[in-house]
Amino acid sequence: MTAMDTTAGDELVVATEVFDAADASPAAAKRDRRRRFRVTPGRIVTHILLMAGSLFMILPFYWMIVTSLKGTGEIARFPPSWIPTSWRFANYSEALDAAPFHYYFRNSLIRAGTHTVTQVILGSLGGYALARIRFRGREIVFIGIVAMLMMPTYTIIVTQFLMVKKAPLFGGNDILGVGGTGWLDTWWALLIPGALSPMTVFLFRQFYLSLPRELEEAARLDGLSEFQTYLRIMTPLVKPAIITIALLRFQESWNNFLWPLLVTTREDLRVIQLGLAVFRQSDQTSWAYLMAGTTLATLPIILLFIVGQKYFIQGINRSGLKG
Amino acid sequence: MTVAVKHVKYPTLERGRRRAGWLLVAPAALHIFVWITIPVVVSLWLSFTDYRVLRPPRWVGLDNYREIWNDEVFCTALKNTAIYTFFTVPASIALAVVIAAMLNQKLALRTWYRTAFFLPHVTATVAVAMVWIWMYQPNVGVFNALLQSIGINGPNWLSDPNWAMPSVIIMSVWQGIGFKMLIYLAALQGISRELYDAAAVDGAGKVRQFFHITLPLLKPATFFVLVVATIDAFQVFDQIYVMTRGGPVHATTTVTYEIYESAFQAFRLGLASAKAVVLFAMIFAVTIISRRLVGRDED
Repeated sequence: MTAMDTTAGDELVVATEVFDAADASPAAAKRDRRRRFRVTPGRIVTHILLMAGSLFMILPFYWMIVTSLKGTGEIARFPPSWIPTSWRFANYSEALDAAPFHYYFRNSLIRAGTHTVTQVILGSLGGYALARIRFRGREIVFIGIVAMLMMPTYTIIVTQFLMVKKAPLFGGNDILGVGGTGWLDTWWALLIPGALSPMTVFLFRQFYLSLPRELEEAARLDGLSEFQTYLRIMTPLVKPAIITIALLRFQESWNNFLWPLLVTTREDLRVIQLGLAVFRQSDQTSWAYLMAGTTLATLPIILLFIVGQKYFIQGINRSGLKG
Repeated sequence: MTVAVKHVKYPTLERGRRRAGWLLVAPAALHIFVWITIPVVVSLWLSFTDYRVLRPPRWVGLDNYREIWNDEVFCTALKNTAIYTFFTVPASIALAVVIAAMLNQKLALRTWYRTAFFLPHVTATVAVAMVWIWMYQPNVGVFNALLQSIGINGPNWLSDPNWAMPSVIIMSVWQGIGFKMLIYLAALQGISRELYDAAAVDGAGKVRQFFHITLPLLKPATFFVLVVATIDAFQVFDQIYVMTRGGPVHATTTVTYEIYESAFQAFRLGLASAKAVVLFAMIFAVTIISRRLVGRDED
C-alpha cells in the first residue's frame, strides 16, 4: 500500500506547487481576477451548489457555538432559534465548574505538545539516517518500518495495553511486571507509546531524500560530523516539512480518543476528548455546557488549521493517509 | 568502482559514518520495534490463548476463532462494518469528486469553500460526534426541526434501531468528504487544460467533459482514495463509542467495538486478540487485492 501511495503523493505535491506558483505577474493577476468573477449561468449554478454544500458542512460548527451561548429555556424550545436571543457567555465558566475542562484542555495540550516534539526529533533523526547515510542494515530497517506502518491500530492495542500495565517496577509491579497497575493511570502511558509513529520516519526520509547530494559532500569536506550535517545543514532546509509533520502530529494526538480511554481513569489525567465523552454520560448534562466543552475541544485545531492550512494540505497530499 | 576507492582512502571515516547512521536511526527503530513489532507478534500469539488478566494465558489452539465463528454478535459486527463501509465510502467519494471538479477552476470564494469542506476532517471525531448527537435529538434537535418545517416527521435517529446506522453513516460521510476532496483537487491539477479546451471546441458541455475526461483521468486517485477510505472505514470506532455504544440492540456494533468490548469490558484478552486478527486479515485482504489490481493496470 505504502510504496504506491507515496509515489502518487509526491506527484500530487509537485502538481500543487506548480499550481500555486502559476499566477505571479500583475497582468496575469488581472486576467485572473476577470476570469474569477465572470458571470455565466454555469457559474451561478456552481456557486449555488457549493454554497449550499459548504453551509451544510459548517452547520454543525455553527450549531455548536450557538448552542454553547444559549440559555436553558432557549435550548428546550422547539423549533430552535438560529441566533440566540441573549448571548450567555456565562455558560463557559459554568461548564468549567461542572467539569474541569481547563484541566482536560491542559492535559491534551501537554500530550499533543510532547508528541509533536518527540515525533519531530526522533522521526527526523531516523528519517535522515535512512535517507542520507549508507550503513549496513539500512534496507532492512527501512523495510521493517514500512511494514510496521501498515499495522492497524486495533491489532496491536490489546498488547500495547498489556505492556503498559506490566511495565516492570512501576505502579506496584515487581521486576516481572506482576502485581500492580504499571503505567496505567500515569503520564508515561499517555506519552510514551505514541511518541513516534512509523509514518513520521517515513515522511522525513522522503523529505530528506529530495535534497541535493552536493550539500552533504560540501559539509563533509568542511569536516562536519554526520550529526552536525544533519543539524546545521540539512534540517534547516526541510523546515516546511517539519512544520507540516508537526501540525499533523499535533492534530492526531489532540484528536486521539481510544488510547487515553484505555489507559486513564483518573480525572486529573483525562484529555479533553475523553473528558467530553465522560461528561456526556453524566446524568444532568446540559447541552449548553457540553457544547461549550466541545467548542474548547475543537477550537485549537480549527485555529491551527486556518493558520497553517497550506502545510496541512501539503502534508495530506504527501502522506495520503489520515492524520 | 568509486565506492571501492573511497573505502581504501578513508576506511575510518566510512566506519564512523556507518556508526553514525545506526546511532541516528536507533531511537526511532527501537521505539517502533518495542511498541509495534512486539505487539503484533504477541497479539497473534494471544489469539490462540485463553487470557482473562488474572490467570496467565493458556494455549487453546483455535478455540477463540471457533467461538468467534459461532458468535452471532460478532457476525452482526462484521455485517455492520460491511454496511458502514459500503455506504460511507462510495458516498463520500462521489461527493468529493464532484466538489473537487467544481472547485478546480478560478472561482470567487474558492478558499472559503475548500476550508468549509475540509474543516470536519481536521476536527476530532469525538467532539464533532457530540455536536451530531445534539443535532440528532428527536425532540429538540435541529434536524427534526428542519424536517418539520417542510412537513416531515423526523425519525428518532440514534435511538431507532433502523436509523442508528444511517445516522452514523451520514455523519461519517460529512466528516470524510474533505480528505478525499483534497486528494482529488491535487490530482485534478495534473490534468491538462488543453483536453478540456479541445472538448469544448468539439461542443462537449461541462457535464460531458466531467464524465468523459475528468472521471477517467481520475482513476488512479479514485483507486487510492478507495483503498485508504475502505481501510479507514473498517476501523470505525470513535463515533460508534460516543454516539451509540454499538446499540440499540447491536444495530451499530462494529468489529472494532467488539474488540473493545471483549478486551476492556469482558476482559477476555485472548478472544479480543483473535477478533483483532480477523480485522487485520480484512485490512490485509484489501491491501493485497488493491496491489493486484494496480499491478494488472500497469501491465
